[in-house]
Amino acid sequence: MNGLLLTTQQALQLLFTGDPELWSIVLLSFSVSLKAILLTTPFAFLVSFALSHGKFPGIRIILAIFNSLLSVPTVVIGLFLYVLLTRQGPFGDLRLLFTQTAMIIGQMILCFPTLVALGYAAIQAADRRVWETARTLGAPPWFSMLTVFFEVRFALLAAVLTGFGRIISEIGISMMIGGNIMGYTRNITTAIAMETSKGEFAQGIALGLVLLLLSFLLTALLSYLQGHKEFAA
Amino acid sequence: MNEPLLVFREIEKSFSGSQILCGVDLSLYPGKCILLSGKNGVGKTILLKIIAGLEIPDLAKIEISGKTNSWEKAVRSVRKEIIYLHQHPIMFSSTVESNVAYGLRFASLNRKQRRESVDEALEWAGLTDVAKKQAKTLSGGVQQRVAFTRAWILKPKVLLLDEPMANMDHESREQTYQLLVRMKSAGMSLVITSHFMQYFEGIVDQHFQLKNGALELKSKS
Repeated sequence: MNGLLLTTQQALQLLFTGDPELWSIVLLSFSVSLKAILLTTPFAFLVSFALSHGKFPGIRIILAIFNSLLSVPTVVIGLFLYVLLTRQGPFGDLRLLFTQTAMIIGQMILCFPTLVALGYAAIQAADRRVWETARTLGAPPWFSMLTVFFEVRFALLAAVLTGFGRIISEIGISMMIGGNIMGYTRNITTAIAMETSKGEFAQGIALGLVLLLLSFLLTALLSYLQGHKEFAA
Repeated sequence: MNEPLLVFREIEKSFSGSQILCGVDLSLYPGKCILLSGKNGVGKTILLKIIAGLEIPDLAKIEISGKTNSWEKAVRSVRKEIIYLHQHPIMFSSTVESNVAYGLRFASLNRKQRRESVDEALEWAGLTDVAKKQAKTLSGGVQQRVAFTRAWILKPKVLLLDEPMANMDHESREQTYQLLVRMKSAGMSLVITSHFMQYFEGIVDQHFQLKNGALELKSKS
């Protein structure tokens, strides 16, 4: 018990004294995951909108595929990308394995189905009259789509936060195609795994606290947005 | 009557094998008002949405200035002249004046001209007092007037109104009626769907009943 208290004390010390190694890992995690979510969101919501407002065959099948991809294990995506990006793989010449770019691609693949499925649910919940009113008032299709997005902005933001929560806390992709290289591809989750395996828990706990804090913040923000959504409805 | 603005011919529409509209013809004249009546689910709203370009028909033709085109070919240009108003209008999440100004973004007006148009339109509809209020917080009757104003400001040639006085109290009905009279006087062609002929007696020129997928002329003034 004393050992746990001591380790937690050391972890807090690392956090509040601004330990450069620890904070560089935190920054790298946020940098990679933010880039992944920002690059994925516009395209994912376009797909959500097309599925919601489009009239083409196979929509239900596409939706079923996206819904089943929501729970795909991260190590499977990591393995899939590893095979593609390894030197002998079809994209080996790009030399992306063990780079931040590879981590970003992996996290984009991971959050894409989440954003599409939740974005679709949000847009479906929007009244069809929003689109029709915008169109009849002369708005071009792209502006009418933005109008629909604005009307369901809180639900869309909640989708983005959920997607961000999923990718910043994943480990399979980061470990397999990031390689856990200090100062380059080591992020919060891979660092926790490594420090724990070394028996050095202080940094692991400190990083775990950052993830926990982030989780609480995201949950609080989602609850706040949920309230807004109910008010708007 | 003058030359028609637009003539819609042979409109056909079916859903899941059931024919809703079977070759409907409808001519729209400037400054004239058509009332469409018919039982619930007979296809009045679908017909209006096809005319507005919001619903794709199985078949339809549009005649403009004596020249007939397929619906697909003509709808893009026709859509600019027609505005459809829902039975329960949707308000965007913004103020009344922003709602009224929505369609002006796509008109070639500068900021000052837009401002003047919005002020004039708000005054026209008696909405100046609520201009800064959130549109969604207003009563159904006032929201309907906002929707009318949002359409009127764009000066469309044709206005399609789906049950415009449904669920309104007497005062709101009277205000809405006065706005319709002014729109008609301004030369707009109005097409109204309603179960209540008596609300529109003073302005209706032709009354059609939609029955078994076809329009039947009930009265003409």
